[in-house]
Amino acid sequence: MFQPWFRGVLLALAALCLAAQDLKEFEKKVTEFTLGNGLHFIVLERKEAPVVSLVTHVNVGSANDPAGKTGLAHMLEHMAFKDTDSLGTTNWPEEKKWLAQVEAVYDKLESEKNKGLRGSAETVRKLEAELRAAIEKANGFVDKEAYSKVIQQSGGVGINAFTSTDATVYFYSLPANRVELWFLLTSQVFRQPIMREFYKERDVVREERRMRMESSSQGKMLEALIQTSFLGHPQRSLIGYASDIENLRAKDSEALFKQYYVPSNMVMVLAGEVDPKEVKRLADQYFPALPAGPAPPRVITVEPPQEGERRVAVETPSQPLLYMAYKRPEPSHPDDAPLQVLAGALSSGRTGVLYKEMVEQKKLSLVAAADSTGLGSKYPGIFVFIAAPAVGRTTEENEKAMLEIIERVKKEKFEDAVLERVKNQVRARLIRGLDSNMGMAQQLASNYINDGDWRRMFTRIQDIQKVTAEDLQRVATTYFVEKARTAVYSKKPVEGAGK
Amino acid sequence: MKAAAVLLMASLSSGQTTAGKPKPAPLAAKSYKELKYKPLKEIRMPEIVSFTMANGMKVYLLENHELPLVRGSARVRVGNVHDPADKTGLSDVFGQVMRTGGTKSRTGDQLNELLEGIAASVESNVGETSGSVSFNTLSEHTGTVLEIFKDVLTEPEFRQDKIDVVKTQMRGLISRRNDQAGAVASREFERLLYGPATPWGRQMEYETLERIERQDLIHYHQRYYFPGNMILSLHGDFVTSTMREKLQKLFADWAVKQPPVPPLPPVTHQAAPGVYLAEKKDVNQTFFQIGHLGGMLKDKDYPALEVMADILGGAGFTSRLVKKVRSEMGLVYAVGAHWAAQYAHPGMFFVSGSTKSASTVETIRVIREEIERLRTTEVTEEELQVAKESTLNSFVFNFDSPAKILARLVNDEYHGYPKDFIFQYQKAVAAVTRADVLRVAKESLKPGNFVILAVGKPEDFGAPLTALNLPVNKVDLTIPEPKAAMAKMDAGTLARGRQILQSIQTAAGGADKLAALKDYAHTADVTILAGGGMKVKQDVRMVPPVIRLDQQLPFGKLSIYYDGKGGGWMAGPQGTAGLPPQAARQAQDELFRLHVTLWLSDRDPERTVNAAEPNVVEISDKQGNRIRLTLDEKTNLPAKAQYRGAGTAGMEVLYDDWKEAGGLRLPHKMKLLQGGKPAAELLVLEYKLNSGLKAEELAQKP
Repeated sequence: MFQPWFRGVLLALAALCLAAQDLKEFEKKVTEFTLGNGLHFIVLERKEAPVVSLVTHVNVGSANDPAGKTGLAHMLEHMAFKDTDSLGTTNWPEEKKWLAQVEAVYDKLESEKNKGLRGSAETVRKLEAELRAAIEKANGFVDKEAYSKVIQQSGGVGINAFTSTDATVYFYSLPANRVELWFLLTSQVFRQPIMREFYKERDVVREERRMRMESSSQGKMLEALIQTSFLGHPQRSLIGYASDIENLRAKDSEALFKQYYVPSNMVMVLAGEVDPKEVKRLADQYFPALPAGPAPPRVITVEPPQEGERRVAVETPSQPLLYMAYKRPEPSHPDDAPLQVLAGALSSGRTGVLYKEMVEQKKLSLVAAADSTGLGSKYPGIFVFIAAPAVGRTTEENEKAMLEIIERVKKEKFEDAVLERVKNQVRARLIRGLDSNMGMAQQLASNYINDGDWRRMFTRIQDIQKVTAEDLQRVATTYFVEKARTAVYSKKPVEGAGK
Repeated sequence: MKAAAVLLMASLSSGQTTAGKPKPAPLAAKSYKELKYKPLKEIRMPEIVSFTMANGMKVYLLENHELPLVRGSARVRVGNVHDPADKTGLSDVFGQVMRTGGTKSRTGDQLNELLEGIAASVESNVGETSGSVSFNTLSEHTGTVLEIFKDVLTEPEFRQDKIDVVKTQMRGLISRRNDQAGAVASREFERLLYGPATPWGRQMEYETLERIERQDLIHYHQRYYFPGNMILSLHGDFVTSTMREKLQKLFADWAVKQPPVPPLPPVTHQAAPGVYLAEKKDVNQTFFQIGHLGGMLKDKDYPALEVMADILGGAGFTSRLVKKVRSEMGLVYAVGAHWAAQYAHPGMFFVSGSTKSASTVETIRVIREEIERLRTTEVTEEELQVAKESTLNSFVFNFDSPAKILARLVNDEYHGYPKDFIFQYQKAVAAVTRADVLRVAKESLKPGNFVILAVGKPEDFGAPLTALNLPVNKVDLTIPEPKAAMAKMDAGTLARGRQILQSIQTAAGGADKLAALKDYAHTADVTILAGGGMKVKQDVRMVPPVIRLDQQLPFGKLSIYYDGKGGGWMAGPQGTAGLPPQAARQAQDELFRLHVTLWLSDRDPERTVNAAEPNVVEISDKQGNRIRLTLDEKTNLPAKAQYRGAGTAGMEVLYDDWKEAGGLRLPHKMKLLQGGKPAAELLVLEYKLNSGLKAEELAQKP
């Protein structure tokens, strides 16, 4: 699964905070430890029901994909469900031999193709046939979906994973008495995933891209927005380019695994009816087998400054949509809190300015919303506005109305009552989130990885509480500037203009 | 030295172990098969207090102090299947405006400010077979929020400005309903299965939306929202006894009574099996749905059918379809099979997914083969065990939150299911055998009845859909534009309308003769001007509401039969196919427009007859049909008829060559204009009235 990007303003705000007393209460339920190989564990005890949610968060996302191999982190996510050398095979030694053969033939094929026009079409055809045969042979030893089967059979639910620009996250929930199964399977899979059925799975991933991006006008608009906003930073590739995906190699996937799936670059979170001592005991049994490795490289590329407004049209027969984005600093920047409150004041519930004015009063839009973090939680990103024009209304009219509001926000201060409302909602949302083992586990993990401490999800509230109306005005003036804006609008296909 | 010390410690520790002291960490298991699990802790079922208030409202309370929150919901017996056909969408509009339109004491905006200021919510919604008003608040604000909740439930005001906002939103939804191919597939599949003209398959259109007015919302509320018609459930941070008192007091003055809500309309539609294509040009994947109507949760075989659907295409990655179509063939990202049983009406069995356009037919074919395999061979013991154990071992997740436990209780109560329904299900799943799975697959999956819907771009399909060897029908996704505004209507115009119609009746031979008409037929030569002057010989026979049309076209004979109930068939040189929904709709329109019955519209209580102009009568019905007849003052016969066609173009029929036929005066020449341009000409060679036609004869295939 590739994480949907725009999860709504409400959800974006949910990654938040609680007052200091809430944190103290919560801290009593959280235990942490780190194994010798650097693998960190966070355990949240919640004894409402005998179930446990289990999260493996790996600090590698699509922004870490090597050039020319976009989509690779996502591809590897899919491969982590392809079992191990003892599970999922009917004859590992034979299968292993054929998997190696597949790679050997593929190497020859690529080497021939790399010659370009000097290569031999005949040889390419021959090698392609040879490759198909080797793949079929290797696939003949597969005991399909054995790993998922064991989890399901044991009562596991919600088995899934996602890859975002920041991270690859694997998760499911188990009845509390079967938690050892997670230790066993997870420690085996993340010791060495097998590149089993890689080239069939590559087709599956290609279908996923067709479904999410190519057969959806919203997907096309999203790609246009991100890829126009970011010209250099690798978070621009999202799910990966179609041609890159079609040429991904198992050996690339293995290399990415070796480099990024090292214990110090991952965190394991267990939330539910678990005993931290028991978790520690099992962790000591199962996970020392993961070999320690050096911390993988961080993303070096910095997006070059944007020197002027960018506008892009996307042709689609669908009804009109408008996406607008302004560059904003990384989420660890001090301006993050005012930007979040600003997004809340602009677009939360039915009191947000965008909804009230554009949807209710002017009836220009069906949807008008803002999100302070249009992408992940690691890199300098974008503050996003979206609008879906009402019937008979245009993207131009919507853009004009939206820009008017944006200009007003720079000139006029929000009332204190608005700030209070947003702050109250932020706190309430965190409390509401506490009743989900899985939701909490994922948040603990991402806060630990991105901010160095899971407590950040609570301490961030202090920053939010300190935000003033002047802060909102200041960040609006600083970041909502024409030069840093990218607008993507849909338009009807031009008649008779080719296919 | 050092080594010796280590050895010593090791032997010491093993000595301690035998003495019953803590064991050293055992080694990690190598395989899941070695794992031994302690029994799962028993599920702690929370105490739920239930009672019925004096006004008839049922209440369930579940006290739980884990978080400082209180949540609640009133489940109301209502549903969009009860919406009048000409106001389809009423429930959707109502569900929203009930909350956004404010209450007697506060406007919607005031509610928004108040609730969002304390991070609380009160929301209302009406679905297919039930409605709800719910709230969610931090416990410190329970009092305030409960009071608003009660006001929304009992005294919504439906202010016009918010009705306008919601109608604008709904128009937007209608205009965007074809934008996402996946959504088109699930919607059109449901409409095909349940029947596009039935309460279960109808959809809101601009026209039906326009008719919805504030008064309708007020009536809706009066009719359905009364204490005896709802179940109230609350859970969270409160003391049960205090909450009970609070609710008694809060609702003491609400004692409205209404007759019981009628039962759900029956599901009667029988979809014509075959392949259906909805064209969508801007996609490179085909979104497909394959299946037919299914069953209910209370059916004896429901547990076995769930096991069956799980093995075929259940959640997770272990199903046959995922293994075959995804892992082995790499044709899809998402594919699943569902025995989507419902509480109180038949659900649907369906397989859905999406694949690149080029592999459309291949994917559908493989899925059909997998379904066939399930119907002909027993599943393996391992498959059965995985499916059963997956359900049984994950059973605890049905009880992992108070909210879930309470919601299920209310659901079962609402639909009249036993309180232990879920445990009966658990027991039944445990007892399912391989033979059961085969039996229910044989009995309940009927590949001959499958509706196979593909939404995509047929030019790119690797093989044409006809390669599936089934009739291929097109699904029309055109969104009907709102028809022209209805003419002004008052006592005077209504009287004049009847007058016009009655003068036509007299001129045509008398109302009684028209009323005595049992069957009708004509033979005509039709020249289709739009089609380059193509000549067609046409035979029309009707025993209302049954219609049969036989046409001799250049490439062969085409026969269309409409059974008067939404179904029928069409037969041509390529074979026979079920009547596509838009053709059925057209047949209904033809019936409405048939001149001889149209002239008698003043005798039909379902029709409104109104004078739009002094010499123009407008005839309309509740299905949204509307036609205008212009009177020829010299002859007192109609000179022309105007209506909207299946597309959006305005249609006009000019009548001419009036002659005697079967005791009536009937037009023998008709010119059809489309958007003001001549489209066709029809010369009637012969009329046959009351010739003793039988509906059964019309049904006979050529």
